[in-house]
Amino acid sequence: MGNCCSDQAGGRAAVGGASSYNPNVPNEAIDQFLKSRGYNGLFSQIELSYSAADLRDRDVLSKSDPMLVVYTKGRDGVLEELGRTEVILNSLNPTWITKHTITYHFEIVQTLVFHAYDVDTQFHSVEVKMLKLDEQQFLGEATCALSEIVTKSNRSLTLDLVHREESTRSTCPRNIGKLTVRAEESLSSKTTTEMILRCSDLEYKDLFSKSDPFLIISKEVENGTPIPVCKTEVIKNDLKPTWKRVFLNIQQVGSKDSPLVIECFNFNSNGKHDLIGKIHKSLADLEKLHSSGQGENLFLPTLVGHDYHNKTLKSQLFVEKFSQSVEHTFLDYLAGGCELNFMVAIDFTASNGNPRLPDSLHYIDPSGRPNAYQRAIIEVGEVLQFYDSDKRFPAWGFGARPIDGPVSHCFNLNGSSHYCEVEGIQGIMMAYTSALLNVSLAGPTLFGPVITNAALIASQSLASGGRKYFVLLIITDGVVTDLQETKDALVKASDLPLSILIVGVGGADFKEMEILDADKGERLENSTGRVASRDIVQFVPFREVQSGEIAVVQALLAELPTQFLTYMRTRDIQPLSS
Amino acid sequence: MASTLSRTLEITVISGEDLRNDRRPIKKNAFVVVRTDPYNSRRTDMDTDGGSYPKWNEKLVVDLPMHAQFITLEVQCKTSLGDKTVGTARIPVSDFVGGYVPESYLHFLSYRLRDHNGERNGIVNISVRVKVPEYASCSRTELGIPMGMGVAWGQRNFGGGIVTGVPV
Repeated sequence: MGNCCSDQAGGRAAVGGASSYNPNVPNEAIDQFLKSRGYNGLFSQIELSYSAADLRDRDVLSKSDPMLVVYTKGRDGVLEELGRTEVILNSLNPTWITKHTITYHFEIVQTLVFHAYDVDTQFHSVEVKMLKLDEQQFLGEATCALSEIVTKSNRSLTLDLVHREESTRSTCPRNIGKLTVRAEESLSSKTTTEMILRCSDLEYKDLFSKSDPFLIISKEVENGTPIPVCKTEVIKNDLKPTWKRVFLNIQQVGSKDSPLVIECFNFNSNGKHDLIGKIHKSLADLEKLHSSGQGENLFLPTLVGHDYHNKTLKSQLFVEKFSQSVEHTFLDYLAGGCELNFMVAIDFTASNGNPRLPDSLHYIDPSGRPNAYQRAIIEVGEVLQFYDSDKRFPAWGFGARPIDGPVSHCFNLNGSSHYCEVEGIQGIMMAYTSALLNVSLAGPTLFGPVITNAALIASQSLASGGRKYFVLLIITDGVVTDLQETKDALVKASDLPLSILIVGVGGADFKEMEILDADKGERLENSTGRVASRDIVQFVPFREVQSGEIAVVQALLAELPTQFLTYMRTRDIQPLSS
Repeated sequence: MASTLSRTLEITVISGEDLRNDRRPIKKNAFVVVRTDPYNSRRTDMDTDGGSYPKWNEKLVVDLPMHAQFITLEVQCKTSLGDKTVGTARIPVSDFVGGYVPESYLHFLSYRLRDHNGERNGIVNISVRVKVPEYASCSRTELGIPMGMGVAWGQRNFGGGIVTGVPV
């Protein structure tokens, strides 16, 4: 628990290996492994299952034989098939058995498209994968975002099926059935095993002292070197060591029955650790070993002639403790009534340039091409809006003079003096363009007031018993003038359910922003010596228009679930069960 | 009526980071002394195996006088020459009392330590929760007045006690 709010990079460097396992900071080997497979940051495997009701009857003598094809839709609109269900005979209300697994990414909008077909009897002997879809009768289609399903408390969403031509026309669609999609997070990603391992009768490997043993637990993969998933600390000069507890997430190892290899090494400071012995066991085997209380002999591959033989050793491995716990995931919290609330603050300082001139960062192009501010709002907003049920977003501007008043460092974007909220992403965009006409750009660039206001909203929500987590997006073109005030406000906010995303637009030097983003340097400290208890700031420069900008927004959002979980878990806040 | 003159705090001393003694990382035996006033203190056990990144995870329950504006955390280290102070942090009471958050909110707080020369040392991580008697906690949010100073807070809490005397 203590680990969660302390400096993660520092803590890991200090203790090393998995002895300081923190569920939010997987060890580097695992990180590497996941990244090599395209997983970044926090991810969950989601199992989709489907049922439909009131499908159209396309067969003459019997009912339809429906099959569902599921696609994911890329940003370019291209559909990629995720999979097909089996064909269910003679049913207008089918519940398909086939389920599909998809990796949930918080930071992107994952659009799913469903096509239902009636598969004619003549094709029933053909495997569904081989079916030519244009030979089948189309029953209807539906689309939704994965985040729309996972934020539902029962994790299922019912969609109206529409016919392909009708979906483009704006006429009232005929009732051609409903599709229900359920998204279930696989339990394995939540289950963590805790073990205490010890060995007895290890052999001497050092010349003048006893061995310095440590364990590496690796996952065996088909025809390849095992992938290390966990490592214990080194115990000096001990032939019957008991190591600190180790934690393994079931998903890291595959399943409870996946083969693991546990190797015991003698630590050598030159990095060439000698193998003392090893053993092959799955987590299920280790659990049995624990309940029996028995040890199991290690073996050592030894060269005999030209072959390796496994020489059984006197040394034994014991499992002192074996327990499993289920940890709540980000999706559990979403389904359990937690929400992310989105807030926006926009930089109206004069360094953006006169909004009437095309070289201004605030220039509204008559052709409709969004400027950098508009793009940042849309791209962050379109991901976050799904997690905010009322879609009412506080929106502020800073660094400008609203209608001949003095310079304000936090004014309501909608022009109101009473309330700061606007309706939906569209509301932010409208308030932004009208504010451009109504304020005169000034300066300097102060973040303090905006952050303090956001913190106020977050603490008021806590006071009224809310289960909300707030995300403030600050879009700015320049370097903050009030660096110390900003730090003070951030340090104070680090104790609240709040994360801050800063997007830098334009060509300024953003070095100082990097200081605010604690994972690139030291922890933030205020003027009186209080230190941010966790990292709540994420900064990215948003320069290039042409390419890579999507990845920029993803990088910005990717840390949010972890920041959210750190907040919830350290406070032991449980999701409400649905 | 001692309870109106002080409030009870649950302070969990979680961990320390990068603790140094004369620039060198400390090896072991760090502990923390929490002082609420010059005469009252509580201390944690010694950490034996965390080196300069000790972990205590120890909950200390202390009484904080109403007028107090600071509590002091002293990280000390037991050496062969006796206990040595590694660094000190002065924690304003306003960091966990007042503001809009619920009174019994669990605060996670971190502080920079300073040694006796005023030089920057490591960081200490704690959590603080103000223990609120059941009846007082519900009156608090209704008042909803922003709070700054410890003295003013004392008056308000007293007032809150009276309000809750009325049957709800």
